[in-house]
Amino acid sequence: MNIGANDPYKHQKSFQGHLFLGSSPENYLWAVLSIFAVTVFGQVLTPHLDLTNIVLIYLLPVLISAVRWGRGPAFLASSLGALAFNFFFVPPIFTFAVADIQHFFTLVVYLLVALVTSTLATKLRDEMHKATQGEQRALALYDLSREIAARSDFDQVLKTFVDKVAQAIDGMAIVLVHDPQTNAMEQIASEGADSFFDKKEYAVARQVLEQGRPAGKGLGIFEGERSLFFFPVRAEDRTLAVLGIRPGGEASSLSPDQTQLVETLSNLAAVIIVRLELAKEAEQAKWLAESERLHRTLLNSISHDFRTPLASIMGAVTSLIDEKDIYTPETRGMFLGTIREEARRMNRFVENLLDMVRLESGTLKLNMKVCDIQDIIGVVLREMRDTLTGHPVKVDIPPDAPSVMADFILIEQVVINLLENAAKYSPPDVPVSISVGVREKDLVLTVANAGPSIPGEEREHVFDKFYRQSSTRHVSGTGLGLFICKGIIEAHGGRIWIDPSPEQGNRFSFSLAAAGEAPDRQNS
Amino acid sequence: MSAQGARILVVDDEKQIRRMLKAALEGYGYDIAEAASGHEGLSQTSIFHPDVVILDLGLPDMDGIEVIERLREWTEVPVIVLSVREHEDDKVRALDAGADDYVTKPFGMGELLARLRAALRRMARSEDEPVLALGELSLDLARRSVTVRGEEVKLTPTEYEVLKYLARKAGRVVTHRQLLLEIWGSNYQEHSQYLRVYIGQLRRKIEADPSQPAYIITEPGVGYRLVAAD
Repeated sequence: MNIGANDPYKHQKSFQGHLFLGSSPENYLWAVLSIFAVTVFGQVLTPHLDLTNIVLIYLLPVLISAVRWGRGPAFLASSLGALAFNFFFVPPIFTFAVADIQHFFTLVVYLLVALVTSTLATKLRDEMHKATQGEQRALALYDLSREIAARSDFDQVLKTFVDKVAQAIDGMAIVLVHDPQTNAMEQIASEGADSFFDKKEYAVARQVLEQGRPAGKGLGIFEGERSLFFFPVRAEDRTLAVLGIRPGGEASSLSPDQTQLVETLSNLAAVIIVRLELAKEAEQAKWLAESERLHRTLLNSISHDFRTPLASIMGAVTSLIDEKDIYTPETRGMFLGTIREEARRMNRFVENLLDMVRLESGTLKLNMKVCDIQDIIGVVLREMRDTLTGHPVKVDIPPDAPSVMADFILIEQVVINLLENAAKYSPPDVPVSISVGVREKDLVLTVANAGPSIPGEEREHVFDKFYRQSSTRHVSGTGLGLFICKGIIEAHGGRIWIDPSPEQGNRFSFSLAAAGEAPDRQNS
Repeated sequence: MSAQGARILVVDDEKQIRRMLKAALEGYGYDIAEAASGHEGLSQTSIFHPDVVILDLGLPDMDGIEVIERLREWTEVPVIVLSVREHEDDKVRALDAGADDYVTKPFGMGELLARLRAALRRMARSEDEPVLALGELSLDLARRSVTVRGEEVKLTPTEYEVLKYLARKAGRVVTHRQLLLEIWGSNYQEHSQYLRVYIGQLRRKIEADPSQPAYIITEPGVGYRLVAAD
């Protein structure tokens, strides 16, 4: 991130900082006190010690001040030390005059040594401080990136991000993500930062977005009354978002360290946003490709599966209209039967298409009521009387089969699809069977035929949308029936599967939770 | 109870459907009038005095349910509703509003004719017929006895009441609500779960194969219908 040519360090120092060189008044007081203590101590020792040794004691508070309280107090201690030594110890005592040239030399050397030492010690202290800060920052960043890597949802990632920023500056943070399409800014705020800014401040955020430069006290464009800072989050030439922060506590400004931390964090934010945008684009591209594929398959399916029955109907009808005298009554009956059966098939196809659309769009509404599975099977068999001619149906329902909480019509549709497949994919006169069993607390319905088995490797795909078995492509079908069955059963919280062993024909089963003693929700 | 000459009003906005119904039903000797909208249907009912109204629920100008309600303000003419599979609730609402029966589009002519005959029978039948017979099932209302395939079956009082109510409306759909109201009265909702149980018990007693009922047919999402076993 580039925050422009302004050196934030220069502007960061508050009024307080200018006066006291970044140290608090207490620290200066401590420096004064330490010099006082050394002076008292020196007075006690003076009968036993040489002047040159006493001046060494005066180096002690200078060093301590430099390490503990910073450069300012160290300088103060050096100067005060020189003055005190001169006043209290260098003859003539209790004056600032220096009689002996030797003593004058001692004083000058002391002052030089004190200043140099304190400068070095302060530098050391600053380095140490920086190292600690750097470590903390690295830790915070590590923490953040680890947490972010664990999430993929756009809002969640940014929420984690702002929470971390708020934690790092001990205040509040907000990120305003710019949507280039709508030009709107989506706000994601840290905990408790709901009313982060007012209208005017929001306008500043927009300005930061447009100009790509930070704003806030000491940062440039905006000098508000409240301590509020905006940083642009930039990647390449584009400002992706604005990071707004409001440090907590008394501090009305950002320390250089905080500024640096926030800059690093907003760089990270840029990386995050770019990553998320790329992921979103990839997802969209995938979705588009998928929907295009679906579209194509659907069109193929419709054109084929509508036209096949339509061709039969057209053929039969035109035959009957054009040449009605050459056909025997049996042939005419056959034509009419074909028309009826093909029309029914088209109707089932339309129902399947509608069910698919409802499943896909999530508008499928379950009308859950207590249902007897025997009742559902009875309705299905009645409905399919004509389709099932030529296939003896064996029904096996134990008398104590539990009822299920289900949408009667949708489960009916599932059983119709399973039964239609069982009949369609088995040679004439091969029996199909429906059996009901109980497995733990579930009711399991199985539809089986002894027809040609679906090869093992194709079994796992039979529930896929538009999947057609390679060996039975000649049989008219949509590849939707089982997909819809799966959707409906799963919407009921049940499971649908095909028996994995192909030896004994094809066995399709689904399970639904038994209604048990649950209160009846029937309301009609 | 001959259908000959019975007058039927077809209310549907689809011209093809009207044309097809007119041709088919006239072939069976019915006298047909057509209406293409709800308002036209209402006015035709008062002019044509049909014996049965066939009403499509999806009309362009007004809700089919409203047409039924407006009809019921002044006439008891049987109404058979045409509906589509997706709208189970509409069927129930139409029936509760006073429609007599429904046929789901697309329908077979045999199915529609059966509904028409049942509706016409309602107008012809007197309420105190002593014996109700449907194929091999008969109810002797005076003796409160039920015979199936030549054998008398023992029914509990509630089972008998349920069967009697279905038999009185033989061939016509009976909604869950209607049955519950008739048998258990106004606080019927407490008993709703029993209805399934009683229907199950009745089927075990009168059906040759209870898993493929031939008399008591379930109308998914709507109710039950007692038909003559074929």
